[in-house]
Amino acid sequence: MSGEFTPKIIMFACNWCAYSAADLAGVSRFQYPPNLRIIRVMCSGRINPNFILKGFENGADGVLVAG
Amino acid sequence: MQLTKQQIDYCMECGVCTGSCPISQERAGFSPRQMIKRTLVETDENVLYSNDLWACLSCSRCSDRCPVGIDFPEFIRSYRQQARAVANLPRESHHGVFQTLSTLQAGASRLNRIAWTEGAGQIAAKGDYFYFVGCAPFQTPVFKYLGLNVIDTAKNILKLINAVGIVPVVSNDERCCGHDAFWAGNEELFAALARKNVETIVASGAKTVIFGCPEGYATFREHYPQVVGELPFEIRHITEFLVERLPGAGVVMKDAGDGTVTFHDPCRLGRRMGMYEQPRQLISMVPRTRFKEMENNRENAVCCGTTAWMECSSCSKKMQTNRLMEAEQIGAGTIITACPKCQIHLTCAKSNTDIGVEIKDLYSYLAEQL
Repeated sequence: MSGEFTPKIIMFACNWCAYSAADLAGVSRFQYPPNLRIIRVMCSGRINPNFILKGFENGADGVLVAG
Repeated sequence: MQLTKQQIDYCMECGVCTGSCPISQERAGFSPRQMIKRTLVETDENVLYSNDLWACLSCSRCSDRCPVGIDFPEFIRSYRQQARAVANLPRESHHGVFQTLSTLQAGASRLNRIAWTEGAGQIAAKGDYFYFVGCAPFQTPVFKYLGLNVIDTAKNILKLINAVGIVPVVSNDERCCGHDAFWAGNEELFAALARKNVETIVASGAKTVIFGCPEGYATFREHYPQVVGELPFEIRHITEFLVERLPGAGVVMKDAGDGTVTFHDPCRLGRRMGMYEQPRQLISMVPRTRFKEMENNRENAVCCGTTAWMECSSCSKKMQTNRLMEAEQIGAGTIITACPKCQIHLTCAKSNTDIGVEIKDLYSYLAEQL
């Protein structure tokens, strides 16, 4: 194990833009770091502040909302 | 405390509790008297799965008047803990952010909860006095949409504490007092928070803890000893502290503005802690204050409608609007309250009405006259 800190990041991705982008990255065979965990939402407007806090409560080091 | 069969037998079925309960007036079928009797004749499951368990505000109007001293709020709270175990959960307000914030504070998360003190007043890292701020730093961003800046209350309290010549400790390691977790039946979380807070205060070397929020004060006074034993420091609510210190501190106050003010007694400070006169004495220290009581005052005061950030409903709104109208009826232009949650709830209700009553916290009222 390396001593380097790799943060666990939760990403809330909008189905119509950010998630499609991640999908496109996938079909184009780009790698993205495995410490980023994506949760698809149908709209970033679905996010409320508690989603972000719950992410931290469950052990995330960072929460990214993209949409 | 689970009521024993004998205590339930003491109940004379006089119905004073139900007659006093602000929820019973609005919510069909909710009756403290019947709930107590239900536990005798029905199986525990029926009570445990009931929605009514979460409707009680623990405002203590019933227990305060009960002729045989049945502590109904505690009765209902003890069931809440069991209800959680069978997944009967309350509806949480504001998407549950406050519940998550409490849980987060029981963990190892690093917080920045004292940034507001910069420019607001003098604080120390160690000393004899500890100012327990409470949730205000977290409530501030959530209630911006109401036009409220909750942190102003904390800033003004700090200003007043400084004005009587004290530089208190304000600690970044302070945690949620656990009031809401306790009343929502989450004793494990409550105990974890209680231990952390006592540890923080002891480490600061403080001998006296001053509370800005009635809930924090009542929780330390009533429920902390069950978890941590006797508290190794003295606890004071800011109102009683200021009543003692302000007159001798050489503080000169400006005259009050025009208009009549009234005082809304928070349940925790009034009925649970018996501090009815201290806030009124503080208000009267402002020269030329025109003060008038609402119809329901002191031990008869009506709760601000919601407790522990759960079960906000049309009942809550009705109670809050009624309270605002009470103030309007006596011609008061301002309701002064000593609890940030009362201020938030009444302001929220006001935003949906055309009632022209201003809601102000006691400390801003005082600090503005300095």
